[in-house]
Amino acid sequence: MDERIAKLKKIARTLRQDVMRMIHLAGDGHPGPSLSVTDIIAALYFDIMNIDPSNPSWKDRDRLVLSKGHSCPAVYAALARRGYFSIEELPGLRSLASMLQGHPDMNKTPGIDTTSGSLGNGISIGLGMALAARLRDQKYFTYVVTGDGELEEGVVWEAMMAAAHYQVGRLITVVDNNEMQSGGPVAKISGLYPILPKLKAFGWHCQEIDGHDFGEILNSIELAQREESKPSMILAHTIKGKGVPFMIGDNSWHKRVPTEAQLKEALLALGEDR
Amino acid sequence: MKLESTRTAATKALIQLAEKDPEIVLVCSDSILVIKGNPFVERFPDRYFDVGIAEQNAVCCAAGLAACGFTPFMTTYAGFITMRACEQVRTFVAYPGLNVKMIGANGGIAAGEREGVTHQFFEDLGILRTIPGITVVVPADAGQVKEAVRAVAQAEGPAYVRIGSGRDPVVFEEPMGFELGKARVLKSTGQDVALFANGRVLRRVFEAAEELQRTGIGTTVVEVHTLKPLDVDMITEVLDNTGAAVTVEDHNIIGALGSAIAEVAAEAKPAPVIRIGLRDIYPRSGTPEELLDHYKIGVSDIVAGAQKAVGMKENR
Repeated sequence: MDERIAKLKKIARTLRQDVMRMIHLAGDGHPGPSLSVTDIIAALYFDIMNIDPSNPSWKDRDRLVLSKGHSCPAVYAALARRGYFSIEELPGLRSLASMLQGHPDMNKTPGIDTTSGSLGNGISIGLGMALAARLRDQKYFTYVVTGDGELEEGVVWEAMMAAAHYQVGRLITVVDNNEMQSGGPVAKISGLYPILPKLKAFGWHCQEIDGHDFGEILNSIELAQREESKPSMILAHTIKGKGVPFMIGDNSWHKRVPTEAQLKEALLALGEDR
Repeated sequence: MKLESTRTAATKALIQLAEKDPEIVLVCSDSILVIKGNPFVERFPDRYFDVGIAEQNAVCCAAGLAACGFTPFMTTYAGFITMRACEQVRTFVAYPGLNVKMIGANGGIAAGEREGVTHQFFEDLGILRTIPGITVVVPADAGQVKEAVRAVAQAEGPAYVRIGSGRDPVVFEEPMGFELGKARVLKSTGQDVALFANGRVLRRVFEAAEELQRTGIGTTVVEVHTLKPLDVDMITEVLDNTGAAVTVEDHNIIGALGSAIAEVAAEAKPAPVIRIGLRDIYPRSGTPEELLDHYKIGVSDIVAGAQKAVGMKENR
């Protein structure tokens, strides 16, 4: 386990550096929510998921639905570093000729399983994928990564009801619970919290973890994988802007472009020289 | 008037398709009775998913199934697909080009009939026509629904088929054949004016064409069952031959057939186009034929529209 964790820590640092560079070069993007979810993305793509970068459409692969599509820089970095495409593609983020759209497009980017970006729809799409697996007797897992703010969307709760009803044990949702949304703190904007008692009442298998602790991420997902008759929810407590001190606690970094100087400062904090 | 249910027809066609193709599945939002779909459920219990009264979830769930290689049919009332779940249809089905087939019931004021505005859908086609990448079909009757369902199942990509109330008049006594994406001349008594139409109102158009013939106006009746992709070449040719057109549809005059023909006329073959349809107002409850008459989609309205179009052509 220690070895796995050490490897993931290193990868996550690289991904965060990639995210910062991409958004700086693109002159557009969402750094804060990309950095809060980076550790979860790193664990999924570099440890947990059964995938084959040389065969992105492999039928038995595990699926990942990035419901919070605006965090795609973290996923693009992971896909590139995992070998789905060249890291030379990363600087093209959001530019006209690039395969890397502002939000994920399953037809343009190898490794993206679902087009996403309009919030709240991921669990529902994941449910369809989990039902497809069951119908064909395939053993893949469908992972959905959502934000906490987007759980305010109505379709999320439609999907939660249906997923519990269909007992899709291979549907695992990780909530990047950074407690912030575009307009400010989730608790100030909506009556969403507490999340887990609601999910428990819906009949989901629920866990709560530190979303920046790789040991907890790996253990919780392994536990979720063993749950056969209930969809799983892992509420991962995260920090928006994690790894870049000047972003933490400043929600303007939800969508903001780092200047040259800020990029340098961020890369230094992320240990570029180490 | 002979009736045959377009809803039952859709289910019959689906069962036939599903017998041959194990990838076909059905996704409902507590809407199985909408298409009288229980025979499908009995025959293929594992291939039927009801996600509850939750259309957005149904569309996304179908998208997930399609992304994994299945061909999901998703069905409920037309407006709940095209309005309640409009964004899901656009972003998660049409944009990625997933193979989801949607069947929308109660299309039009006549099909919504006694239910009132909440269940009368006269915007569905206009909404879908603005979304890139969806095939949009308006069958005329139960027989054509079967052909349309088969055709969209065979074609790759997102599609929408509009059906009626289950008390739907037979328009074609004999099977006419069906080619997706092709408009066709059903009847021609001359080339003074073209009558473009689709759906159940074609019956009224035939009647109007006869009446017009008696008054010396020759018409070319064209069925445009596929609104998207639109058969622009064929429509242009007809406009070239006639120089005047009337469109007849059970839909708001904004957005669907009337708009489509006017767009072709404006860009390719300028000609007067008189649109017959619901004139951008909310209808009331009523019986179907009575509603169509009341909202000026009657035979006399079509005749008057044709006379006006011919007059405009001659005064140009």
